Amino acid sequence: MKKSYILIALVVLLAGAGVVSELATFMDGRLAYESPQAIDHEAPTPRELALQEQAAEATKEAQEQPYVEEKYREFPVIGSRVAVWMAAQLHLLFAAFVLAVPIFALIIELIGYKTGDKRYDDLAYEFTKLLSTAFSFTATLGALLTFLLIALYPHFMNYLMHVFSPTFLPYVLLFFLEAVFLYSYYYGWHAFSKRVHLCLGLGLNLVGTAIMFIANAWLTFMMTPAGVAASGARISTWEAVTNYTWMPINIHRMIANVAFGGSVAAAYAAFQFLKAKTPEERAHYDWMGYIGNFVAIAALLPLPFAGYWLASEIYAFSQTMGLTMMGGAFSWLFIIQAILIGNLFLAANYYLWLGMGRIEGAERFRSYIKYLLIVITGCFLVWATPRSILATVDEVQAMGGSSHPALGFLGVMSAKNTAVNILILTTYISFLLYRRSGRIPTVKWAKAGNAVQFAIFALAATTVLFFGIYGYFVEAAVRIKFSVPQVGSVLAAMILVTVIDIFLLRGAKETETRWGQISNTSQYVLIFLAVTFTWLMGLMGYVRSGLRQHWHVYGVIRDTSPDAFTPTLGFATKVVSVTVLIFFAFLGVVFWLASLGGKHGKPEVAVEALDGGDV
Amino acid sequence: MQIPVPLKVAILTIAATGFYTYVGQLVPQKEVHPPEVVEMSSDLSTADLVEIGEGIMSGKGLCFTCHTVGKSGALRFPDLDGVAIRAGSRRPGYDELTYLAESLYHPDVFIVEGFSAGMPQISKPPIGLTDDEIRAVIAYLQTLGGQATMTMDTVVPFSAAAPDGPLSAASEAVDDGTATGSDEAEVEGAA
Amino acid sequence: MMNLAVVLPVLAVLIGIRFAKPSMLGWVTAWWLAAWVVLDFGFAVPVPKTVVKEFMGIISLALAAYVTSDPQRWREVREPTTAFLTERKFLPLLVLVTLAIPAAVAASIYFDMTAPAQAPIFGRTVHPAPPATLTVHEVTHDMQTLDNPYRKLEASDPAAFAVHVEAGRKIYYENCFYCHGDLMQGGGMFAHALNPIPTNFQDSGTIAMLQESFLFWRVSKGGPGLPEEGGPWMSAMPAWENFLTEEEIWEVILFLYDFTEQRPRALHVASGGEGH
Repeated sequence: MKKSYILIALVVLLAGAGVVSELATFMDGRLAYESPQAIDHEAPTPRELALQEQAAEATKEAQEQPYVEEKYREFPVIGSRVAVWMAAQLHLLFAAFVLAVPIFALIIELIGYKTGDKRYDDLAYEFTKLLSTAFSFTATLGALLTFLLIALYPHFMNYLMHVFSPTFLPYVLLFFLEAVFLYSYYYGWHAFSKRVHLCLGLGLNLVGTAIMFIANAWLTFMMTPAGVAASGARISTWEAVTNYTWMPINIHRMIANVAFGGSVAAAYAAFQFLKAKTPEERAHYDWMGYIGNFVAIAALLPLPFAGYWLASEIYAFSQTMGLTMMGGAFSWLFIIQAILIGNLFLAANYYLWLGMGRIEGAERFRSYIKYLLIVITGCFLVWATPRSILATVDEVQAMGGSSHPALGFLGVMSAKNTAVNILILTTYISFLLYRRSGRIPTVKWAKAGNAVQFAIFALAATTVLFFGIYGYFVEAAVRIKFSVPQVGSVLAAMILVTVIDIFLLRGAKETETRWGQISNTSQYVLIFLAVTFTWLMGLMGYVRSGLRQHWHVYGVIRDTSPDAFTPTLGFATKVVSVTVLIFFAFLGVVFWLASLGGKHGKPEVAVEALDGGDV
Repeated sequence: MQIPVPLKVAILTIAATGFYTYVGQLVPQKEVHPPEVVEMSSDLSTADLVEIGEGIMSGKGLCFTCHTVGKSGALRFPDLDGVAIRAGSRRPGYDELTYLAESLYHPDVFIVEGFSAGMPQISKPPIGLTDDEIRAVIAYLQTLGGQATMTMDTVVPFSAAAPDGPLSAASEAVDDGTATGSDEAEVEGAA
Repeated sequence: MMNLAVVLPVLAVLIGIRFAKPSMLGWVTAWWLAAWVVLDFGFAVPVPKTVVKEFMGIISLALAAYVTSDPQRWREVREPTTAFLTERKFLPLLVLVTLAIPAAVAASIYFDMTAPAQAPIFGRTVHPAPPATLTVHEVTHDMQTLDNPYRKLEASDPAAFAVHVEAGRKIYYENCFYCHGDLMQGGGMFAHALNPIPTNFQDSGTIAMLQESFLFWRVSKGGPGLPEEGGPWMSAMPAWENFLTEEEIWEVILFLYDFTEQRPRALHVASGGEGH
């Protein structure tokens, strides 16, 4: 045996020596018998002369070339557009999280301050803990996006500077302020008096909102330009800021950020719940996940209305752009969106139903779930019905066109608006049932109150359905106005019922909520919700930006780069997916870092007070 | 065997993302390229113009995003089937050519009954067809229920080449007919 | 709209299940199958496969949510499934299912791959818009007012009208019947070589829907005279103005209506284009 080792060692040594010598001669490259220089060192060969001449010429040419400003530069492999797209989306996702968490952290802190319930204060602190690392990620990704834009789209960025130069300095200053507020809000949690601390939180939110408003001005200007001449020359920066879609995007993003932030925070809680060892931890993170999800769903409900406003402003700005969105190149994107939002609603309701398991006395509502589910599924089906159906030749011939004689009725706006409104109403009822399942009203007028609540729901649903059906019998110009009473009745119903409910449950007999006693499935649902929210933001971010098609600034500055075309939806969804996965990988790092910070001296959350906790 | 939680979460994330990507592959896959400049020489025949016009209608002009040909029922925008038959008699004092040209250059001046305004000015961005491209579109529209008479020498009303002669009445209607009239004239002058 | 022969039995089965009270697993399976049968076979005009797939996906999701949202229901589904997978007495059935799944996948791939190639779809208008004016034999007609000159004889002079119809019969059997057939059903001896196939005049959706001026346009100008819109046409019909006089065309039109016992659409009902 030993001999064979020696043999192998010898062979390896020999081979090594061979390789080394080979390398040495290769690198030397001046073996006498190979090199022509060895023969004559004196006179340069004609080839050498020519090479020298060429080199001299090249130097001269390089010295004399004029400076030409590049319009575009190429990003390797994936191309400029995808590079900017992904950087922007990642920046935006982190920014959304960083802007959203302070909004509800502050509200929760305020609830804790008002009620004197310490666990709310602790929860707000725990939400805030996720912020600091996320804030640096946001800033870094923002810098990456800016550098990419300047490097890849220099000419166009120069133009944006022309229009928006007065806005950049305030933006940077606000960013400084944001950092100051954020870190003083986080690190000063137990240092300042509660009032001062709440003011810091308010400042943080105000500055954050202002930052978002400024950034929104840039991108909404690209969609719906204002304040510039037909040539693109600036007339008024203020008008460019306050363009058609600026306010709708501001509002839409603010609401969507809260929904997204809530769901990501809920996913964090779910992850901690799944890893939890003790019942106390499980109880705490179950509660945190519940609150996060509550925030997300509360923000999700009005979101379609904000989206509707945004879409109508796009139509008001340019019918062409509106139709590109809903009827042209992007119409199928909204079928994908319908599937995502259908999933969101289904999963959110599902989580509430699972949550009834932890409440004593929830059994009496269990039989309602079936009917809620049927309504939600019906609405989901209507919303996901395509207007023009993908079909084979035989199928098209059988249908006599690209729309089905029966399903065609479901593919139009009337049906879809109705479906969305009913979906929102149903989810609200689901939530109400959940809220009710743990409490038995004791006020005298409880029966009457219930009847009134039911009547309000019935009235709202009837209004929505009436206008939905009536919409088939009137002209388009009249029909589009029907969404106002539909939305109005749903919003009014939700507000009225909530007000009644608050008084109805005043002093109600509360049964025990067994926090932590919920199946693990529910926690995976929370994570699924976060992924779906994130993906949906990616998709809608694409359509908002992609709508401009071959324009940098719609109708003013043409995109003449090789990336000016609109990619297929399949490609777009792949980019969105990769971005979402990168985001979650980053998020994992952020949460891991947050958990490192909390390891020593972890505030023993007041679990003893957790039972019966609710909002 | 217990799968660690982070792995489970990662699998769930990838599965959900993968599912949505899959949904994205099921819908029609269409790449939309920016419109190309149509080279139009001055010796094109009427038939050439009709053919180019049809291409512009379905491509760069985005006309068929809204308009249909030969569809009836609940319409959001006027159907163009047989538009050439109606064009000459829709508006008093307008011949077929003027009517079609006006509906492209100044679509908001006259709205067909039962429909609402909303068509963009085809000569302006974002669609921004050139005068010659609009000439081709009109040539195609003339074939919908009629015979194309458009040539490269025809003077298209409202275009940059149109003189302020017999058609000035129509142009005036544009100026005082809408609030944006004067604004449009200004931009047109600059362009 | 719905195919009652399918929908009613499905409803009956579902109502039966309501009373039979099967296990949760049976209940879910029944509902899933019912939804699929109604979607795939329950509509008079079949729902395209893509939509059936999409809807079934959503319905599966909803049923899964229903079953798993309650521990009791979930147990009722999980326990029989576990028993099926583990207990010895189900082994033959389990083997069968295990083999059936890959077989089903293979079969579906086979049928997808061997599906006959289909021509792409062209949106063809059945009745293209006629031009505003029509020039036949150097006489220009206004299509709005053009009518069959012999039509009025039908009331005023039936004998003369019959003569013109008879002349039309002769013209039809000398020229048209090779394609349109001796019974005017579009099944003439040449018809099988043509695509699109010759029009079936017996169909109440053809000439009965049209004014005679429209027929005059189609007969005189034939396939080459079809407008660009709504094409491609590829109609093999000749432009008969090259072979027939104007009078002969009107006569053969008389005969078409006479033979099929149909009436032309009245002149003024559809004169405007505004209805579109």
